Amino acid sequence: MITFLLIAALPLTMAFLGLIPRTARWLPRAGATRLLAQIPMVIWICAPAFSGQTISYGAFLIDGMGAAFTIITTLVAAAAMVYAAQLLPAERAGGHKITDRRLGLFYTLSGVFIAAMYAVPLSRHIGYLWIAVETTTLMSAPLINYYRGRNSLEATWKYLILCSVGIAFALFGTVLILAAQHSFTNGSTMMMGDITAHAKDMDPRMLRLGFIFCLLGYGTKAGIFPLHNWLPDAHSESPAPVSAMLSGALLNCALVAIWRISQIMAAAGQADLVRQLLVPIGAITVVAASIMLIKQRDLKRMLAYSSVEHVGLLTLAIGIGSGQLLMLHAFNHSIVKVALFIMAGGILHAYGTRDLPKLGGVLKTSPVWGIVLAAAGFAIAGSPPFGTFISEWLLLRDAFIQGEVTAAIAVIAGLTVTFIAITMHVGRVVFGNERNPAKTAPVKAWALSPALLMVVSLLAGAAVSPTVMRTLTVLAQGAQL
Amino acid sequence: MNLSQIDLFAAGSAVLAVWMCGVTRVKALLWGVALQTAMLAGICVLFGIAENQIQLIVLALVVFTIKAAGIPIFLARSAKQVDIDRDKGVGISPTLTLMVGCIVLYLGYSLAPEFAVPSMLNRGSAGMALALIMTGMLLMITRRLAISQVIGFLTMENGIFLYSLTQTHHMPVLVEMGVVFEVLIAVLISGVFIYRINRSFEHIDVTDMRRLRH
Repeated sequence: MITFLLIAALPLTMAFLGLIPRTARWLPRAGATRLLAQIPMVIWICAPAFSGQTISYGAFLIDGMGAAFTIITTLVAAAAMVYAAQLLPAERAGGHKITDRRLGLFYTLSGVFIAAMYAVPLSRHIGYLWIAVETTTLMSAPLINYYRGRNSLEATWKYLILCSVGIAFALFGTVLILAAQHSFTNGSTMMMGDITAHAKDMDPRMLRLGFIFCLLGYGTKAGIFPLHNWLPDAHSESPAPVSAMLSGALLNCALVAIWRISQIMAAAGQADLVRQLLVPIGAITVVAASIMLIKQRDLKRMLAYSSVEHVGLLTLAIGIGSGQLLMLHAFNHSIVKVALFIMAGGILHAYGTRDLPKLGGVLKTSPVWGIVLAAAGFAIAGSPPFGTFISEWLLLRDAFIQGEVTAAIAVIAGLTVTFIAITMHVGRVVFGNERNPAKTAPVKAWALSPALLMVVSLLAGAAVSPTVMRTLTVLAQGAQL
Repeated sequence: MNLSQIDLFAAGSAVLAVWMCGVTRVKALLWGVALQTAMLAGICVLFGIAENQIQLIVLALVVFTIKAAGIPIFLARSAKQVDIDRDKGVGISPTLTLMVGCIVLYLGYSLAPEFAVPSMLNRGSAGMALALIMTGMLLMITRRLAISQVIGFLTMENGIFLYSLTQTHHMPVLVEMGVVFEVLIAVLISGVFIYRINRSFEHIDVTDMRRLRH
C-alpha cells in the first residue's frame, strides 16, 4: 500500500500547497522540484515491474504496462511543471493579470490531475479505472480555462460536455461488462484479473456491446477520428504546460483504458472484434488527421492534430494486439510532443502570436531555439534517427506481418502527408523569413528541457534492439492482471 | 418483493424524462430530473429491502440527497444567478421533441430484449434505462442553454444507474458512490462555468459559441 501512496504523494502535496494562501512566490519552484524528485522515485518503484514482478494492493497493481505508463506520465508531468515554473511567473511579470489564487488553483488542480493520471494505468478494477479517467476530465477542464478568455471558455465547455458524455458511455460499457457475467456462479466481479480468468463464461453478446460502448467512451477521451472534435480546441487554448500534459499524458491514459478492456475481450476469445474495429479506426484517424494537418494556420492546433494522428497509430497498435508497440510509441510520441508544446508556449510568449503565417525566422532570432524546434519537428513527423521513426516503422512492419495490408498502406499514405505538412509548417517557422519580429527574444534557458527531451528521444531511437523489443513483448503479454 | 413495483418506478422515471422533452421552463426541467432520481433511489431502497442489504439503502440515501436534492437545488440557484427562465430549443419545437421522445421510449421498450440480462427478474427496466439514456442525449442535442446540457447529462447518468441497479448483481456500492461523487463534482464545475460563460458572453446559449472552428 505504501508504494501506491508514495507514487501519489508528491503531486498531492503540491496540490495541497496550492490551497494555502500566499504561497505564489515559491509555489512554481516547489511544484517543479517535487515533480523532478518524482522521476527517480517512480523509476525506483517501477523497476521491479520490468523484471516481471508485480506489486499489488487492493484494486491497484503495478505491472509492465502500468509501470511503463507511470514513467511516461512522470516524465511528461515533470517537464510540464518545470516549464510552468519558468513560464507562469514570467507571464505574471509581463502583464497577464493572474491572481495569486488562480495560480494556487492551477497547482492544486495539476496535482490532483497528475495523481489521477497515475491511477488510470495502475488500477485493475474496471470501476476505479472509470472513476480515475473521469477525475482526469474534471480536474483538467478548469486548467484549460487558466487564461479566462472567451475562446478558452468555449474550449473548456466543449471539452467538459463532450468528454463527460463520452465517459458516460464508457460507464455504460463498464456496467454491460459487469452484466455480461450473469452466469457466474460466485457473483460478478470488477477486478480485471478475475474477469479475464473467467472470460470464457461471459455472455459474449453483452461483452461485445460493453466493449463497443467503452471504446466509444474512452475513444472520445483519446480523440479517435470522428470523436476528436474537442481535442484541437482544448489543446490549443490551454496554457502550454497544460497542453503538454493533455497531449503527452492524458491521451495515453485513455488508450491504456482501451487496452485494458481489449485484454478482457482477448481473454474471452473476442480478439477478432477488437481488431476489426480498432485497425480501421486507427488507420482512418491517421489519414483524417494528416489531411487536416495541411491547412492548419495555428501552431498549437497543428500540434493538436498531430496528436490525433499519433492516437490513430496507437489505436492501430492496440488493434493488432501489440502492447509492446503501444508502450514504445506512446513513450516516443509523448516525449517529443511535450517538447513541442513547451516550445510552442515559448514562441507564443516571445512573438505574441501562434498564427503560422505570422511566424518565421526563429533560427535567426535564437539559434538554440531554432535547432531544437527543427529537431522536434522532424521527430514528430517520424523521421530517423529519432525514436518515433523506429516505433512507427515497427508498427507498420507488424501490421504487414499480421495481414492488415490495406490499413498499413493507408497509414503509410497518411504518414507521408503528415511528414510533408509538418516539415512545411515547422520549416517555415524555423527557417522562413522573419515576418513579425519577436517582442522579446525567446529565453534560452527555456529550451533546456525540450533539448533534454529530444536527447532522450534520440537515445530511445538508438536503444531499440531485438532484445529490448523482446523484453517489452514479455512485459506486455505478462500483464497478469 | 414486489417486482412490478421496480418496473413501475423505472417506467415512471422514463416517462418523466420524455415529459421533460416537451418542457421549456428550466425550473420544470429541474423538477423532472429531481423526481426521476428520487424514483431511482426508491428502486434502490426496494432492492435493499428485498435482498436485505443495508448498503443499498445507504446508497439510496446518498443518491437522494446528492442527485435528487442537492444538484437540482444548486442548478436552480445558478439559473437564478444568470437570470434565465426558459430554454426555447434549437429550431425544433418542444412539442416535436416530445413526439421524438415518445418514439425513443418505444425504441427503448423494443430494444429491451437485446440489452436485458436473461436471468434477471426486471428485464423491462433495461428498456427503460435505455430510454433514459437516449432521452438524455436527445435533450442535450435539442436544447440551447448550457444548463439544459447538464440536465440532459444527468438524465443519461440516471439511465446508466438504473441499468446497473436492475441488470447486474449490483456494482460495488463504493464504485456507485464514486460515480455519484464524480457527477456531483462535474455539476459543480459546470455551474461555475455557466456563471463564467454568462459573464463573458452575456448569455449561456451554446449554439452561439462557435468561434473555434477550423
